[in-house]
Amino acid sequence: MIRGVRTRAYLLALPATLVFAVFSLVPLLSVLRFATWRWSGTTDPVPVGAANLTRLLSDGALWASLGTTAMFAAMALPTFLTLSLVIALAIEGTRYERAIKALLFAPGLITVGGSAIAWYLLYNPDFGLIPELTGLVLPWTSQPWAALIYVVLFTLWQQTGYGVLVTSAALRGIPREVKEAARVDGATEGEVRRRIVLPMLGPTMLFLTIIGTVFSLQSYTAVYLLTRGGPFGSTRVLGYYLYETAFERYQLGYGAAITLFVLVITLLVAYLQARVLARRGASEATT
Amino acid sequence: MIVMRLVTVAFATFVALPLLWLVYAAFIPAEALVRANLATFGFSLENFAALGGTGLWRAMAVSFSATGLAVAGQLAFGLGAAYAIRNGLRLLALVMLLLALPSELLLVPLYRQLQTMALIDTLGALVVPFLASPLVVFLLLQGLRRVPWEVIEAARLDGAGEITIVRRVVAPILRPELTASAVLAFAAHWNLVLYPRIMTSEALWTVQAFLTELLRARAFEWGLLGAAALVASLPLIVLYLFFEKRIIEVFESGFRS
Repeated sequence: MIRGVRTRAYLLALPATLVFAVFSLVPLLSVLRFATWRWSGTTDPVPVGAANLTRLLSDGALWASLGTTAMFAAMALPTFLTLSLVIALAIEGTRYERAIKALLFAPGLITVGGSAIAWYLLYNPDFGLIPELTGLVLPWTSQPWAALIYVVLFTLWQQTGYGVLVTSAALRGIPREVKEAARVDGATEGEVRRRIVLPMLGPTMLFLTIIGTVFSLQSYTAVYLLTRGGPFGSTRVLGYYLYETAFERYQLGYGAAITLFVLVITLLVAYLQARVLARRGASEATT
Repeated sequence: MIVMRLVTVAFATFVALPLLWLVYAAFIPAEALVRANLATFGFSLENFAALGGTGLWRAMAVSFSATGLAVAGQLAFGLGAAYAIRNGLRLLALVMLLLALPSELLLVPLYRQLQTMALIDTLGALVVPFLASPLVVFLLLQGLRRVPWEVIEAARLDGAGEITIVRRVVAPILRPELTASAVLAFAAHWNLVLYPRIMTSEALWTVQAFLTELLRARAFEWGLLGAAALVASLPLIVLYLFFEKRIIEVFESGFRS
């Protein structure tokens, strides 16, 4: 009887599992097969064996976009982690905690297209409000370096609230007694933060680092909205190159090969990060 | 500590600025464009009248129907899946894997999948793949840990079926999580940009696909852009203002464990 009940409860997962299987798992696995096709999306695919995969190796634009992605991550990720940590610590327990969190989380939810328009009218070097009023100009429409910074700023604007929420949740998970005990033993507030709070946030920072890396390697809606990869390909991150190849140059077979490439790079980097950071955490704990 | 506070204030200002500007830009008077200066402050409603001929309302209708159907599916199916996992079904690993897999990355194989199912350029393309969401399953599962199991056992002894239990017992207890998930799911679907552009043609473009096209085609009609951006964001702004507290609480408690 108990067993019957359990089976019936399991059946309730059927619709969701079906959707996940058909629209996530099957596509994920079939990338392997599609990567061996020459396929424009509208005509019938032609099998070409490993041609797409060998093309990956000699594709200069692909490796250039990997470099751009690395540069993007190198600018965005440390800033994201620092801001998440600093803001979460600064607002903990203050009167403004709720208001600041609500504000910082808002850009991630409010329409991306609308935000892109607001940014365009606010920061456009030729007529934007900020350049008009302050004379401060970030020439993101013409200068490669500025364009990448612009995309990084927009991404931080959108995502930092998420980092603050996750860090803040972890801060609240630290038992009060541990901190009290240290204070009773004569530790200053600075010491409590350095010796107790920061080490206990280790796993959270690791989580945010990995999520942030995966996001950097795979996301490109911001690039599409703001710069479309330009000027001169300076913001063509990996994901955007994939989109361009598949859906603007209609090489979906090669696009599948790039998808595979991105997946492998993501797994590799996330794995290495987890190992390096976990080891560093362990060695710090013992000293 | 002072430095940390300053950083917080500076960053909060940086975040608030585009949001305030998003609201104001909709009311930019036409003189701003004539004088080629966005710092021409004033108040005008003419921008909203100009939206009529752009196709924005049609895009809004598409977005509302597609997003509404997707959110309904995600809540119903998500509740079932979370309940089954809580009963011992080993599905959590799959949910976590999918949580880390953005749909942006799988556009190529998804395109093929929709093509074989004859869903390309139908409303179904905007709905069916989004009928279940790993984030919703995850959030509801966190909430289910709070439900005392004796209540479920008691309902079973009374002869209630599993679907009745989920609808009558579990769903009412999970109202905070269901509300927060609904808003997050609504925002996630409403904000899809590339997906609708690729999978459907112009007649079925959602609000975001429409906005990106408007920004490209009419880049210098600032008032029009501002008004379109505000109208397209309004549903989310309203939802967020109403449910902000609940969303943040549910989101944080989901990540506390």
